[in-house]
Amino acid sequence: MFVKPFSRRRVAAVVTFGFLLAGCAKDAPQDTFDPAGPNAREIDSLQRPVFYIAGVVGLIVLGAVAYAIWKFKDRGQDIPEQSHGNPKLEILLTILPAIILAGIAVPTVSQVFSLDKKDNDCVINVTGQQWWWEYDYVKGSTCGGVEITESIVTVSELVIPADTPVLLRITSRDVIHSFWIPRLNGKRDAVPGRLHTLRMEADEPGIYTGQCTEFCGLSHARMRQAAVALTTADFQSWVTNQTADYTSPEAGTTAAIGETTFIAQCSRCHQVDGLVDGAGNPVLAEPDRFVYSGAAPNLTNLMTRTAFAGWTFDLISDECRDRLWNESPETFGAAYLQGVWMYSAADATAPACFNETNLREWLLNAPAMKPMYTDPTKLAETGGKTRGMPALGLTQAQIDEIVAYLLERK
Amino acid sequence: MFTTGSKLFFGASALSLVSALLYAGTTDGPLSMPGVVGLLTATVFFGFLGGINYATRDGNVSGMQAGVEHTSPAAQPPVRASMWPLAAAVGAAGLVIGAVSRPVVFKVAVVLVLAAAIEWMVLGWSERASADDDYNSGVRRRLLYPLEFPILAAVALGAVVYAFSRVMLRVDKDSGMAVFGALAAMVLFAGFVFASKRDVAKRTVTGVCAIAAVALFGVGVASAVQGQRTIEKHPTTGSEGAVCLEEGTAGEIDDHASQDVSLKSSVVANVYLQSNGVIVAYVNGFPDDPKSEITVPRSAWVSVRFHNDAPTAHRLTARLGSFAGAAETVQCTTAVNPGKEALIGFSIPKTNAASSTPIVLMVPGLTGQEIKLVIP
Repeated sequence: MFVKPFSRRRVAAVVTFGFLLAGCAKDAPQDTFDPAGPNAREIDSLQRPVFYIAGVVGLIVLGAVAYAIWKFKDRGQDIPEQSHGNPKLEILLTILPAIILAGIAVPTVSQVFSLDKKDNDCVINVTGQQWWWEYDYVKGSTCGGVEITESIVTVSELVIPADTPVLLRITSRDVIHSFWIPRLNGKRDAVPGRLHTLRMEADEPGIYTGQCTEFCGLSHARMRQAAVALTTADFQSWVTNQTADYTSPEAGTTAAIGETTFIAQCSRCHQVDGLVDGAGNPVLAEPDRFVYSGAAPNLTNLMTRTAFAGWTFDLISDECRDRLWNESPETFGAAYLQGVWMYSAADATAPACFNETNLREWLLNAPAMKPMYTDPTKLAETGGKTRGMPALGLTQAQIDEIVAYLLERK
Repeated sequence: MFTTGSKLFFGASALSLVSALLYAGTTDGPLSMPGVVGLLTATVFFGFLGGINYATRDGNVSGMQAGVEHTSPAAQPPVRASMWPLAAAVGAAGLVIGAVSRPVVFKVAVVLVLAAAIEWMVLGWSERASADDDYNSGVRRRLLYPLEFPILAAVALGAVVYAFSRVMLRVDKDSGMAVFGALAAMVLFAGFVFASKRDVAKRTVTGVCAIAAVALFGVGVASAVQGQRTIEKHPTTGSEGAVCLEEGTAGEIDDHASQDVSLKSSVVANVYLQSNGVIVAYVNGFPDDPKSEITVPRSAWVSVRFHNDAPTAHRLTARLGSFAGAAETVQCTTAVNPGKEALIGFSIPKTNAASSTPIVLMVPGLTGQEIKLVIP
């Protein structure tokens, strides 16, 4: 039998099948139905029954509509008797949804308050700006038994101890953003001038991804983030590394030249803690003078992260990323703590996993990789300040030097 | 020669063309090209419609009929007096007056001219649509009622909201509660009466509603003329820089300086001046653990609430650092009476390391009592 290629039935079948296939997605790291911590599990325990109830109600309604369409299809029959109002049915259709909604409201309200606890030993400030997240670990916190004795500032990857509740204090420097790690908890808006809190906890070591969920401008889709959970011992190692003293590159190396280049080209906005200039004075970034949000990513330990530029571009190769993400909870931390040097031989002189191409392309022309408002002729509204990293016009030699220098920020 | 309909569209086409030329000659910048293209599109579009009207003799008589352009309904003069020419004239005068006086007059005149143009155009066309007056009126209604009713309803609703807002801003808070309580009771009573007496005449309901509307609008206009009551502002941050570092309570004492609910609900810390003269900070996240340091992100606006539990009035002062040789930035709350509280908000653009002076919260007159602000 001849079937038209675009018959309605065929289109409907393809669309339906497509929807069904979408539900079979594997490797979905932002699956809200796959909670990995107690807070997300609480939400999941509520959303599943609601989803099932809504599904049943939806099927009943759709079935009734389909039945009515089929039953009363115009086949030339007489118009049926016209009636208006059916008090019994209307009362039933009012009371039934009210009972269902009341039933859902009880656990919902209870869980809203349960998720809103604000007391904690481990507090992390989370600050959003176009288009990346900054985390600073509050001095005086105790995270999984690890004391935060010095402030730590890091970017995009929120490192936390596993099996330990942490409290995020979320705000924004420019526009409204929304912080969301689906497998660990719900969303929380980051609003300038306001401080919102969000509890977060991961059951076991691993990497949990998320992204900004409030449209925040040109590169909203490229504002991603991740929470990295480590064992207490690994978290202690991470904290120790983050608070370690600055070490200058060995004199005479490309990295040493890169340090000077970095001071000249990058340190206006990017802070590297402990960096001093030739006269021994601390080099302090002033992003408030050049960037609309007043902040730029801290690069002190850049190479301990797996991605950069709002967690959009990998700092490690695809192969290493796949391998890291598939590590068991027991072995994950050991690999992660090596940063771009993960899976490298002990005596390796170059990191096996470093995605140098991405970093080089970024340094060459950042706005070409991630759209940002950096056109100098169109910055009147922001007082000449950019909303992201501009193209600095670096030469290949300068890029070589800066890459060599950054490679030592580990 | 030309039919009535085609004259309208050819005229609009010519006007669009002239406008396009003027716009292109007088406007520069990013809007210039789209504007010219839009106006030229209108020129072509109107010309096309004019051509169709001309070719079909406005679609109501045969083009082959001799002398029909003089005898057809469309060629007849208007049958009724119209207020729209007058409205258009008033609008045009308003444009001129508004251009040299107040912008609001100009804007109202633009709206009036546009409304008059549309109404006049449709009225003129509909009166010639056929030889049947009833049919012509029906055509006009079908075209304009979908526009007129929503717009008039929006205007009426706006007038009601405006009138209510003026009255609310005029009466003081206590009287306002009584006035609007009584008003709500009257509305409820009227609704009850109309609902219970179903045989009440439509004319009565209309009359009562009309009187209420006129009364409301009249009171609203009267309130607007008298102006709003004096509303005392309660700033969250003191602007009395000169007294921020001085002991004592010079300047304003404002017991209502923490009425900003949105700020109160999202402070980074509550700072308490205790009865023993010690200040402590209860930081968001550590509600039961008083701290002497508050970590705040830099370049981000944060709020702190100050509670004065001491027996005398005090203020909280934020010393926000001195950067690159500039003078120290200092902010403070107004003086706060015992048992009261106030909010202070600030944003610190650089780290502690960049400041030549300490970045702290302190209470003037109490030595050694500081909360350090840590800006990593």
